[in-house]
Amino acid sequence: MSMNLAVARQTLGHPDEFLEGPAPRRSPIEIVTSRVQRQARPRIVYALVATAALFVLLLTQLGVSIAVSQGAYQVSALQNTQIELDRAQQKYGEKLQVLSSPQNIANNATALGMVRNQDPVYLDLSTEKVYGTPTPATGTAASSHNLIANSLLTGTKVVTEKAAPAGSTTTASGSAGAAAANQATAKVPSTTNQLAAPQTR
Amino acid sequence: MTPQGPIVHPRRRRLRATIAGLAIFALVAVFVVRLVDIQVVHAATLNADAIGKRSVSTTIYGDRGEIVDTNGTVLAGTVLRYDITAAPKFAQAGYSTTDSKGVTHSYTIDQAAAQIASATGATKATILAGLTTNKTSLYAKLVGGVDVDAYDKIQKLGITWVYPVRTTSRTYPDGAVAGNLVGFVGSAGTGQAGLEQEYNTCLAGKNGSQTSERGADGVKLPGSTVTTKEAVGGGTVVTTIDANLQYQMQQDLNEQVAAIGATSGSVVVMKKDGTLLAVADSGSVDPNNIDATPAADRYSKAFQASYEPGSTFKAMTAATAINLGVASPASQEIVASSRSFPWGGRIGDAEAHPVEHLTLAGILADSSNVGISYIGEKVSKQQRYDAMLKFGLGRTSEVKFPGESVGQLRTASQWDSQTDINSMFGQGVGATAIQTASIYQTIANGGVRMPVKLVKGCRQADGTITEVPSNTGTRVVSQQAATDVIQMLENTIPQGTLKGMTPISGYNVAAKTGTAQIADGPGGSYGHDYIISVAGIAPAENPQYVVLVTFNKPTTLKTSFAAAPAFREIMSQVLETYRVTPSTVPASTLPDTW
Repeated sequence: MSMNLAVARQTLGHPDEFLEGPAPRRSPIEIVTSRVQRQARPRIVYALVATAALFVLLLTQLGVSIAVSQGAYQVSALQNTQIELDRAQQKYGEKLQVLSSPQNIANNATALGMVRNQDPVYLDLSTEKVYGTPTPATGTAASSHNLIANSLLTGTKVVTEKAAPAGSTTTASGSAGAAAANQATAKVPSTTNQLAAPQTR
Repeated sequence: MTPQGPIVHPRRRRLRATIAGLAIFALVAVFVVRLVDIQVVHAATLNADAIGKRSVSTTIYGDRGEIVDTNGTVLAGTVLRYDITAAPKFAQAGYSTTDSKGVTHSYTIDQAAAQIASATGATKATILAGLTTNKTSLYAKLVGGVDVDAYDKIQKLGITWVYPVRTTSRTYPDGAVAGNLVGFVGSAGTGQAGLEQEYNTCLAGKNGSQTSERGADGVKLPGSTVTTKEAVGGGTVVTTIDANLQYQMQQDLNEQVAAIGATSGSVVVMKKDGTLLAVADSGSVDPNNIDATPAADRYSKAFQASYEPGSTFKAMTAATAINLGVASPASQEIVASSRSFPWGGRIGDAEAHPVEHLTLAGILADSSNVGISYIGEKVSKQQRYDAMLKFGLGRTSEVKFPGESVGQLRTASQWDSQTDINSMFGQGVGATAIQTASIYQTIANGGVRMPVKLVKGCRQADGTITEVPSNTGTRVVSQQAATDVIQMLENTIPQGTLKGMTPISGYNVAAKTGTAQIADGPGGSYGHDYIISVAGIAPAENPQYVVLVTFNKPTTLKTSFAAAPAFREIMSQVLETYRVTPSTVPASTLPDTW
């Protein structure tokens, strides 16, 4: 038997009712829900689930959008930092290049009291031969100072300083008896808290 | 269940539905029309409008490239600078800042000017003048080209109406070292002299631009970058110069020019493959400060000054003669102190001497003009001229340095009889120091002339190297001729014109001196000043390096011997710098006399 069978109750009237018209109904037609129907979920739930899902999706999209925007701010801040660091690197790179110039090195060497020696001497360790004539450097630091211009160095101080007066002999007369000058007759003086310098040949 | 509503006539029901449908349709139609209007009809203008309001164009900078030496030391570079501009209209009221504690400090325009002046190193008066000259203007440049330190200080001040504008400046960290070669740039940033000019297309960078859409607070909207134009950084010109050696050469030159009282000097150091290691001039310009050097000295004399070289050309004459088989190191000549020609010309040796029996080796060692004229005569004028062309004379070198001189050779048919003879010992023809050095490079390289190279190439921003010079040599004289000449020239220091110079112990050095007269006397005659030079090749048994030292008008001693100390010093430094192994074979000693 079908579940949706409606059970209709109708009072049948006299046969002569057919001639007078249908008799007024005494009770309405009633559709009674079956048990299964009563236990089923209300359809509105599906609508609610669908709407909720929609809302969740929208919220997720909003969340992702916020995260991306945050990222954009971070990117912007990092890019600014990079620009600043690039600038700083530029600045120090420029200063370093000028300080590495040969003129600056020569100035520092002169400030230490070093002099140029125009007579290179070669030592061949395998044959124990000395090529060249060992000659002490002639001239003073003042006369062998840097002669090449570098206007970027104006105002740059030398970082070395001449220590206590050195005792090494660098007189012009040394060039006469060249080889003998190898034996320095004076020790380089040492300061109190350093090791004494050995006598070098 | 509710009873049904009032009975509706079917026709009226249809009418209601139709009306409702029409109403909805009409509404939808309005929306559709509006949509089409916005999305299709006005789309372009609306888009452009929106982008114009939202998008910001920023410049991506492609700065000018560097010039570096063979080891990467920067000889010319681009540095960041800022022009400090302001809007005077908003400056009149001064400015105020609020620090982190919420305290507000206010400063008048006067105080602001003083602060800007101390930050940038300009004078307060200049800044104030810039701000007050045109009080309604929106733009005024206060200070140009300040460095990053000053920029940081200005930013820290936090003045709202000051706008630093990025710019660049050219810097030469090594100052005058290779200043004559590197050249300098003008105010527009294009090269005006030297390598800056010659390689301007390689060095020039191109700015790009980037358009992206930004929000109201200036932060870029994610995923909205549209790069409209890529920036191209300038290429790097890699030279063959060794900056340390160049410095030493310049230092030596400046010392020696003062020591011998000359007006100027130059040194060319070349490897046997034609690569230039140093091209130094005394008193070189410092490109950072061009005005400190007179205009006549702001160029490379080695490339651009042509002069009669003198006896250094005798080696070329001898090589040509040996190559053509008409002479050898043992060729015998009877050499007097002077010689007269049937057509009336006359030549003489630098020093008077009795008649001597000299071999070609002796002629070169003693640098006898008379002697070389006998040797040179064995070769026709045209043959000698053609050899000179092959040696690189009469045209610019392969470097094509801006303003480089071609020397002065003319054509063989234009040589009169005197020039014909004079050319055998380097008078009557003109050459630059580079051309003379190239002659000795050919001799050092077994008779094969290599192209003179100053630049290894242009290294583009993406790493590729362009503009690589040719490395193809041309044979000028035979290997035998070259070897013979070098062996003959080994006599110069022990027995020849450089006798008395302290030898460079440990090395066999071949050298040739030159004492050239200068045609600056009245009517183009020769005056009383000389250009002295010494050309050397070392080590003689296995030539590696060519050194040419030239001094202009020395006063303490007017012969080429005045250049001897400089030559010795410079050649020693070259051999030392490149760790050349001392010679193990004894020096050649070809007989000078017979």
